[in-house]
Amino acid sequence: MLQSKIRQRRMAVAFILLIERGDDGSSQIGAEKNDKPEEHAMALLDRSEWYDLARSTNWTPTFVTDEDLFPDVMTGAQGVPAEKWEVYDEPYKTSFPEYVSIQREKDAGAYSVKAALQRSRIFDDADPGWRSILKSHYGAIALGEYAAMSAEARMARFGRAPGMRNMATFGMMDENRHAQLQLFFPHEYCPKDRQFDWGHKAYHTNEWAAIAARHAFDDLFMARSATDIAVMLTFAFETGFTNMQFLGLAADAAEAGDYTFSSLISSIQTDESRHAQIGGPALQVLIANGRKAEAQKLVDVAIGRAWRIFCILTGPSMDYNTPLAHRKQSFKEFMQEWIVGQFERALIDLGLDLPWYWDKMIAEFDYQHHAYQMGLWFWRPTLWWNPAAGVTPDCRDWLEEKYPGWNDTFGKAWDVIIDNLAAGHPERTFPQTLPIVCNMSQIPICAVPGNRWNVKDYPLDYEGRLYHFNSEIDRWIFEQEPQRYRGHMTVVDRFLAGQIQPADLSGALAYMGLQPGESGDDAHGYAWVEAYRNRRMAAE
Amino acid sequence: MTTGTVADGYRNNRVGPILRAGPLTAGIIEAAEEDNPGKTIRVDDKIAYVRIDTEGEMILRRTTLERTLGRAFRMQELEVSLGSFAGRIEMTEDMVRFYYEKTL
Repeated sequence: MLQSKIRQRRMAVAFILLIERGDDGSSQIGAEKNDKPEEHAMALLDRSEWYDLARSTNWTPTFVTDEDLFPDVMTGAQGVPAEKWEVYDEPYKTSFPEYVSIQREKDAGAYSVKAALQRSRIFDDADPGWRSILKSHYGAIALGEYAAMSAEARMARFGRAPGMRNMATFGMMDENRHAQLQLFFPHEYCPKDRQFDWGHKAYHTNEWAAIAARHAFDDLFMARSATDIAVMLTFAFETGFTNMQFLGLAADAAEAGDYTFSSLISSIQTDESRHAQIGGPALQVLIANGRKAEAQKLVDVAIGRAWRIFCILTGPSMDYNTPLAHRKQSFKEFMQEWIVGQFERALIDLGLDLPWYWDKMIAEFDYQHHAYQMGLWFWRPTLWWNPAAGVTPDCRDWLEEKYPGWNDTFGKAWDVIIDNLAAGHPERTFPQTLPIVCNMSQIPICAVPGNRWNVKDYPLDYEGRLYHFNSEIDRWIFEQEPQRYRGHMTVVDRFLAGQIQPADLSGALAYMGLQPGESGDDAHGYAWVEAYRNRRMAAE
Repeated sequence: MTTGTVADGYRNNRVGPILRAGPLTAGIIEAAEEDNPGKTIRVDDKIAYVRIDTEGEMILRRTTLERTLGRAFRMQELEVSLGSFAGRIEMTEDMVRFYYEKTL
């Protein structure tokens, strides 16, 4: 108690010092210091000299109990007492004045392209496949950033360690910035193409991919405790998978000449790179206090769920929608670089183990996103973007080189589609039946077609209801907390329950909020089929 | 490449910054060479980002960066370019350190 009062007084002194210095956040304190070090040396303390003190915001509550103030259900501290969290030390620190100054610089860079964007011909000149990447990205991500902002706010309030609360306050503002940026840019494109309206609209609909994204983000960000969020959102999701979409895809964007998008998403990732460091020390506290198994489970659930989302979003973007000439690496190569070589290595360093399903997930690198791509293109009327098929003869050579055996599996299924299109029967390339949708990922169950057919349902009977899963990983996640997931209905469950009327494609599109002019179709208007038609005519 | 060799890709000790395309890159590479004597600094340029890494530990000092960039530099400014990093991080006003505690 006495210690708390002394701390409070010291803090008050520290804050007064800051106020007297006029650190309103906009001043270039460091720059001044560097420009005229001898003049300002007395006026400025280094951050390290006051940070620990200013961060010490724990106190002894007197009006309510500590348990009421920080209930375990909200903190997720798993019974690890407050004093054990005192050792939490965030490795990537910043102060409010530094934060404001640096973020201002970042935003100046990101928004400076506004005028350029309006003059730019990149939108008109870009390959339609590239425009589809932008549409799928903004729709799937922009409002997910708001979900992440709520999650950061929960850590800012219920984080058990003062350092976690401090960094999460910045993280909360970061995520707000990301949502604003990624709504601003698609909005600029709306007058040219109404599908960009889905940058904002997607999460407000029951479009199936939006349901899949919402289901995952609600699970990992919105409906979790502060500690769970630190582990699942900041550690697993942000030090791991966001690098794929925000840096890996930026490499393709730069190759495609879309420097606006490349700069925008990589700027966002600089925020992530800082606030993602909230998770590491939280994991260390959990492990040091005998909660390794619980921490490992959180990480394994988060990686499993994140993998599905990025597999369907980033995988087809990189290997099909990005024009062939602009592909920096294959999706699998980016996964090797960012997830295997970097993220999993960091996980081992913190004292965790590889997920139990590691080898199964690695095996999926070779096929799962190819299967998702077929589904996306096949069910294209149900998308808010126009997927590129990405299977011209040249593209197929590239796919075969990067994924040996592609022609013998996925290629055979595409051959049927190509035959129908070349013969003038596009109506045969639209879905007539419903897929079986995974009760975890909310994405149709699929795997390898053709000569290596391995498509399989992983069912589970729970409390009299039969659930279907895409893999052992998805089923395992459900089994960890079935009461959490049991009530949710996939879009196909809703269809079969009679909630979608009329029970046909028109009813489904209306249910998903897809208006005429928004519903997806082949990105290139099937022009790519011409190459096959010519080949066949030449052969005849 | 077989599933086994891909799965073992985490067995490495490479640490260092991954920088967005920007004006700091050349100065940071030079500082990495200078502040980590005897170490091989690997640079992988993907245009949108540049991966700069070395084995086990990499240090970048503010004073070195001020010299290689030819201007005053606050360590926190690194954040504008720091899209990601391999390894753990320790950031002070005078230096940033990327490292792993365990050697695989």
